[in-house]
Amino acid sequence: MALVACLALPFAVLRPNRIVAGVSHAVWSAGGFGLLLVAACLAGAVASVATLRRRGSWLLAAASAITVVLAWALGAAASTLLRGAAPFARVSIGGGAWLALAGAAVLWFAGAHGERGRWALGVSSSVATLGLLGAGAFGGLGRLSIAVEYANQGPQFWQLVGTHLAVAGTALGIAMVIGVPFGVVCARAPRVRAVVLAVVGIIQTVPSLALLGLLIVPLAALGLPGIGPLPGIIALTLYALLPIVRDTYVGLAGVDAAIVDAGRGMGMSRSQLLLRVEAPLALPLVIEGIRSAAVLVIGIAAVVAFIGVGTLGQLIFLGIGQTADDLVLLGAVPMVVLAIAADGALRLLSRALVSPGIREAAS
Amino acid sequence: MITLEHVSKHYGETVAVDDLSLEVAQGEVCVLIGPSGCGKTTTLRMINRLIEPTSGRILVDGHDVTSVSPEQLRRGLGYAIQSVGLFPHVTVAGNIMTVPRLLGWDRPHMQARVQELLALVGLDPAEYSDKYPRQLSGGEAQRVGVARALAADPPVLLMDEPFGAVDPLTRERLQAEFARIQKELRKSVIFVTHDVDEAIRLADRIALMRDGHLQQYDTPEALLDHPATKFVHDFMGADRALKRLGRVRVSDVMRNEVPTMQDGSGAETMAQRASCAESRFVYIVDAGGRLEGWFDCVAFREGRVARDAITSVDWREAAVRPDTSLKEALSRMLGQGFRSIAVVDGDGRLLGDVALAGIEETMTAGDAYITHAGGEPEVDV
Ligand SMILES: Nc1ncnc2c1ncn2[C@@H]1O[C@H](COP(=O)(O)OP(=O)(O)O)[C@@H](O)[C@H]1O
Ligand SMILES: [Mg+2]
Repeated sequence: MALVACLALPFAVLRPNRIVAGVSHAVWSAGGFGLLLVAACLAGAVASVATLRRRGSWLLAAASAITVVLAWALGAAASTLLRGAAPFARVSIGGGAWLALAGAAVLWFAGAHGERGRWALGVSSSVATLGLLGAGAFGGLGRLSIAVEYANQGPQFWQLVGTHLAVAGTALGIAMVIGVPFGVVCARAPRVRAVVLAVVGIIQTVPSLALLGLLIVPLAALGLPGIGPLPGIIALTLYALLPIVRDTYVGLAGVDAAIVDAGRGMGMSRSQLLLRVEAPLALPLVIEGIRSAAVLVIGIAAVVAFIGVGTLGQLIFLGIGQTADDLVLLGAVPMVVLAIAADGALRLLSRALVSPGIREAAS
Repeated sequence: MITLEHVSKHYGETVAVDDLSLEVAQGEVCVLIGPSGCGKTTTLRMINRLIEPTSGRILVDGHDVTSVSPEQLRRGLGYAIQSVGLFPHVTVAGNIMTVPRLLGWDRPHMQARVQELLALVGLDPAEYSDKYPRQLSGGEAQRVGVARALAADPPVLLMDEPFGAVDPLTRERLQAEFARIQKELRKSVIFVTHDVDEAIRLADRIALMRDGHLQQYDTPEALLDHPATKFVHDFMGADRALKRLGRVRVSDVMRNEVPTMQDGSGAETMAQRASCAESRFVYIVDAGGRLEGWFDCVAFREGRVARDAITSVDWREAAVRPDTSLKEALSRMLGQGFRSIAVVDGDGRLLGDVALAGIEETMTAGDAYITHAGGEPEVDV
């Protein structure tokens, strides 16, 4: 399907300048690389049908091949299309190319799921990364519109990424410090649980922009600014609370009563029971809660750009304001990458921390 | 020694345990039995203060259980429950080390203890130490549960239907092992069950409860022969002569000298050898003495070909062990339709056999009711 899409839909778009709509070009505009890309997509399709669920390494190989060839093909297309065009002309990534990339991602995740050995994962990701970097340096990928936007932003881009991570990370950290104990209290005291879960649940239903607006009032009463990093972090923390509190509570409540009884009957104190028995058993769910919170917070951190915090959201709002699609992408794509990275890191953390005795049951 | 003095537990209107007084002597097994909801678990859990009594006093070795903190008390009382409650995130060794760890033992001491206990409950330490509970069968988990309860060598063991959740064959093995371990360790045990046969087999004394009241507290023989109330009589069951067999072990009546022959000598040779045997069955064993089957001389003489007179069996199913109860042996014998059953050790080596005649002898010697057929004992109601 990705193959068909990649052939039928426009591959690259040539525009006279960064704002106005442009002319679509098919995959052939990339010349030889275009043919290669079609071949790689074909290989991916074959691999996915032939090795369904069996050898993940073939899927990984196909995915990295598609990614690398796609990057070079886009670079080639950009170079070809811009040859002889006006100086302000831009080449954007077309729908076909996006779909091919999405297809590669699907293949990659399917392969990563089926592959038990780690080396195939490592090799395929390094090949894809090297291929991308190579295309960026030598293959003309740097001439695509999104890369031009990146170059225009310069060091400010990385500053935005840094702020984005700092704001999201701080909020997540505070939410963990507050949320986990609240989850424990919820598991211990049914009356408190009803109140706490209701409150964090209600917070979750408030739209993010509305929450930022609402926060101005109490902050002003305390003599604190209603814009800037402080309210931003407060809002993000509030959003992160629900998954963390809820999953900590569910994790603890799910511990088999007989296990707790055995622990008590052998003379464990309340805190020993919590630390040595209940916490390790609830850990998979606690980490799961933190994972959901992390992904959520990385997303919502874009919105706090509205109150003057320099997150990646700033690029998105700027891009929308200027109707510069590729600037929007420059903000959105790294956010997706950050969310996926955080998700993956916390999954790995879970693997490392959760006892092998309960690992399978937890996932 | 464990003493309960006028202990009661009320839950609002419900009286779970009513004015219970009970004394368990050092090294004795007291089995608490009674219908579901009669207060057995409540009684047990009041001893280690998982439940606080409404009134009354409980002493362990002369000390009031409330004289120390509940945690300290419990670390000195072994505790095993039906659902086992092994910690799933900890290895078998780690589970067994729970109480020693709470008591602050040093590591080499704990590891040596794990080895010792696993061997005691019949699990190979090298194989089982590092397994996780989910990798164990029900019977293995129960063994680990018992090992964990014994870890810090507590003088008292509290067990709530510890063999309630396993299949009958495994339960039979676990009971036999428990009897062996108890003979060796001589703990003061309070053992809750609702299985009369289990109670008769394991108890030095049985405490029969009903609706929170103690009905009778005496030896299994006394409860069978002199039930104090009609309820006791009915609860112990009508097949009391049969039940008493639960207290005798196969090794007490088994015949050690049995005719055997080695496998592999061919059916015809076997037939010749068997023809001069006195008994009807000649057991067939392999080179290592493991039971493989038997040769039926009568069937052979009746003109069948030698091959048809041979029965091949799996010793795990067709034989009993020396520590099996006679009741179990009898029921297996009848279930298979034979008048005798082979006895093997844990590796399947033939040790002897038990015949129906031998069991009959035991019953008549030990039980007057058998001889006066149909004679029911007088019951005071
Ligand atoms: N926490 C409790 N609240 C109210 N009633 C209880 C509670 N625990 C036990 N009971 C009641 O006490 C009685 C004895 O229970 P239990 O000791 O568990 O019985 P057994 O172990 O003999 O089956 C039952 O009638 C039961 O319903
Ligand atoms: Mg019970």
